[in-house]
Amino acid sequence: MSGFTFSEKQEKEITGILSKYPFKKSAMLPLLTLVQRAERAISPEAMVAISEKLDCSPAYVQSVMSFYTMYHAEKVGKYMILFCINISCQLNGCDKLLEHTAKKLNIKVGETTSDEKFTLHREECLADCTNAPMMRINDTYYGDLTEQRIDQILDSLD
Amino acid sequence: MSDNEVTLTIDGKSVTVPKGTKVVDAAREVDVDIPVFCYHEKIGALGCCRMCLVEVEKMPKLMTACTMDVMPDMVVKTTTDKVEKAQKGVLEFTLLNHPLDCPVCDKGGECPLQDNTFKYGPPDTRMEFHRANNAKATPLSPVITIDRERCIACQRCTAYSERIEQDQGLVMLNRGFYNEVGTFNNEPYNNRFSGNVIDICPVGALTNTDFRFKARTWDLTNTETLCAHCGCNCNITMGTRLNELMRIEARPNDAVDDGWICDKGRWGHQFVHSKNKIITARENSVGGGKPTSFPVFPHDCTIQDAAGKVAEAFKKIAEEHGPESVGFIGSPYTTNEENYLYQKLFRQSLGSNNIDHKSYQDTPGLPVDHYGVEQIETANVVLLIASDPTEELPVLDLRIKKAVTNCGTRLVSLNDQTIALDKYSSQSVQYRVGSEALAIDALANGLARELGEPAPAKDAGQTGISAEDMNTLVETVRSSMKICVVYNPSALSGDAVSRVKRLLKLIAKVPTMECGAIPAAPMTNAVGAMDMGLLPDFYPGGVPVTNQDEIKKQWGENAPTTKGLSALEMIARAEAGELKALLVHRSNPVIDFPGGSRVADALRKLDLLVVHDMLETETTELAHLVLPSNGPGYDEGTTTNIGGRVQARKKALETAQAPDWKIINLMLNALGDETDYQKVLDVTDEIAQKVPGYQEISRKSLGKAGCDRAPVTSVDETVAEQSAGSGKNGNLRLRVATSLFSHDKILDASSRLAHHFLPSTAHLNEKDAKKLGIRDGDTVLLSAQDVTLEATASVNNRCQSGGVVVPRASDWQGVNGLTGADGGPTWVEVRKV
Ligand code: SF4
Ligand code: SF4
Ligand code: FES
Ligand code: FES
Repeated sequence: MSGFTFSEKQEKEITGILSKYPFKKSAMLPLLTLVQRAERAISPEAMVAISEKLDCSPAYVQSVMSFYTMYHAEKVGKYMILFCINISCQLNGCDKLLEHTAKKLNIKVGETTSDEKFTLHREECLADCTNAPMMRINDTYYGDLTEQRIDQILDSLD
Repeated sequence: MSDNEVTLTIDGKSVTVPKGTKVVDAAREVDVDIPVFCYHEKIGALGCCRMCLVEVEKMPKLMTACTMDVMPDMVVKTTTDKVEKAQKGVLEFTLLNHPLDCPVCDKGGECPLQDNTFKYGPPDTRMEFHRANNAKATPLSPVITIDRERCIACQRCTAYSERIEQDQGLVMLNRGFYNEVGTFNNEPYNNRFSGNVIDICPVGALTNTDFRFKARTWDLTNTETLCAHCGCNCNITMGTRLNELMRIEARPNDAVDDGWICDKGRWGHQFVHSKNKIITARENSVGGGKPTSFPVFPHDCTIQDAAGKVAEAFKKIAEEHGPESVGFIGSPYTTNEENYLYQKLFRQSLGSNNIDHKSYQDTPGLPVDHYGVEQIETANVVLLIASDPTEELPVLDLRIKKAVTNCGTRLVSLNDQTIALDKYSSQSVQYRVGSEALAIDALANGLARELGEPAPAKDAGQTGISAEDMNTLVETVRSSMKICVVYNPSALSGDAVSRVKRLLKLIAKVPTMECGAIPAAPMTNAVGAMDMGLLPDFYPGGVPVTNQDEIKKQWGENAPTTKGLSALEMIARAEAGELKALLVHRSNPVIDFPGGSRVADALRKLDLLVVHDMLETETTELAHLVLPSNGPGYDEGTTTNIGGRVQARKKALETAQAPDWKIINLMLNALGDETDYQKVLDVTDEIAQKVPGYQEISRKSLGKAGCDRAPVTSVDETVAEQSAGSGKNGNLRLRVATSLFSHDKILDASSRLAHHFLPSTAHLNEKDAKKLGIRDGDTVLLSAQDVTLEATASVNNRCQSGGVVVPRASDWQGVNGLTGADGGPTWVEVRKV
């Protein structure tokens, strides 16, 4: 499978990452993250490219990649919303808030907006129960959610 | 008790085992059964299924017996209430979403999940909801079907893929509640050893597509026999029903296969029911103007008549034209018993040493120890010479991978092509195609210089190996302490094999060196055929024809003591009209021998060509008379594997046709030999009496696991000075490589493995390709000896420039036709179409 090449900058970054680990395979998550950030998805072609860097099989890359909810086979929006639905958030009314968010974005949970700006997913406990209900957008945690706060947050992202 | 042993107590029984043993294996020693799912002794600990929980004194919680090493004075209990409760709990969970498929499941009757549930499980489930459903029968490859609903996620199969096959092709995807066994991007799970996952899956999740719904396992008749394909001679169980082959499974034998078989062993035995099977003796309507000595088979000729007539015709021709006018070409695929009897017929009854079974040079025996394959695990260095185990002897590939990854063995190779195992070698030294003799000599000379033995100051000729690389290799070999040399005689041209033997002698001279070798020709019984004396210059047991006293003593006053003709010489003599009659047993010279159409032309000139074979071939077409051979599945006897282990091949299927050994015995009788073998073991007994090295072989010593034969003497070889041959300008030196799934008579178009067949491919070096204006994927023509062959070019540096590697893809490709009739070096012209 061809069709995926790392940019020169990425190649440099990868060399740096690989130099940190005694075993190449240990660099699996950093490399997956690198691709996910750059492409907003990890395509089969990218998995092959990663497997070549790490001397393992593409199947092995896929097995790791398919375990973590932060990696996506389908392209996600610019903003990835992971909405916690686990117990603490549940007790604090996350269901209604999730519904509100979906309605506001005009998509169903699991979908991406047509302008590819937002993707909305359910997520299990993100270890921020003190601030439940909460959601994570890309790398930022947003706690103590209310409908207004959600509107504000989403509107502030461009 | 040594330092390396540990004594512990399991269920009140004291047991002493080597350090590092897992508790679950220690328990087996004292017949305590600890149930497991994920644990497999060859794959190692996983700790994935929790079925093996046991109580250990002084440990607060239950422990998994499969991950825990034994410790001194440990007290293990496997039948306490706590353990039983845990077992019930684990099984209740394991069965939570398991479908109730047993009545239609292929695993039924031999299923660890059934068995463990029956022995240790709860009587019912508390599950009140619908079971989670998952994909039923889904193809994982053309030969394996996965039922994802039955999978208990034990991960044995994925661990096998990671640790044994080591291609990581099969993995656990979506780990978590929705986990499933799968491959990258849903590609088929296709490799040489994929079928083993069927044997090890503890439920009916991974099933043999070919066997699905064909029979219930308890209705099968299981025969413990051997794979009939390569020289590994893996142990298999043939399951048959109503005289039809249903399936093949591995039958673990550590000394031979370590518990695994390759896919050719598992799915490549369908030929037993081939429509091309020869079932009766017949006369072909070839060759008019037959000589008077020519026997005629009447329409309903019995095999007794046919065998008698063949024998008498050969006798008559031998009397009229001298014993050198008759010859025998046997096979490295047949049993020792058949080979032994045929050489006896030609030597004792016909007085001819025109006996051979191959088209390359080799001599019996080794100047060093003949290592069994398990020695690879204890060797410090394994040196491959002209050998590509992955294609030629698959299960040897697994053994080498195991040695390199788990036993600290170092792999080095001296090859003319890149091979799959290069990934595992610490040094792969590549010589130019055709320069093996020079390369082997260079290694031997380097060693000789180190040892102060006589050696030329400078190595002759051009091998394309740098002095530095060669020095490193010499040093690795010299300092190895224990080395196992694996060489493939059938891939060595000219007299290079004698140079290997000279090299072995030199290695053995290194102080404190333990040196052994494995002659790794790919054919099933290549070692046995050499041992049984299917050779023009050696009697059975490596006794040279010149050893008159010994020969007269064993084989009678009239036994011939002059060197006979080799197979290639016989073809040449037939061409010249000097060889009159030839008997070919289970060999297809028209396709397999060098010389192309010249072979067929030569065979046409014979007064009498008798072919004794199991499947119709291009050679049976030319035969005047055809005798039926039973072949694997139906035959019985012994074969000798590459490691010198003799094992019993058993009969799994019945046929009305007389076995080969009986037919040969009829011929012996017709020529006045009084032998009266009642069963094949009578022949085995005679081999034990008459063949040096086989004295210990008997039904008893063979048992289930076979018995190593004693070393066969090897003659002192003299090696000639060599000069590098040169070809016509711009031509490339041809290397015919072995490909495991070659499309031939055994794996025909209807084979379950047909998806592995390769197109005809020519592997070129970049430099040559550039010079010839050939690009990757171009169609090219290769020509030599008036033969032209079409292939797709693959520009991949599989060999050095000046050579071209062509894997044997099929009989119809006819690549052996390109090689010269004398078996010497072949230069081919390669051009783009
Ligand atoms: S397919 Fe079989 S061997 Fe593989 S994980 Fe499932 S149950 Fe275990
Ligand atoms: S490795 Fe050889 S003997 Fe073993 S199963 Fe495969 S072909 Fe048969
Ligand atoms: S349950 Fe939502 S952050 Fe823990
Ligand atoms: S057998 Fe011990 S955990 Fe599976």
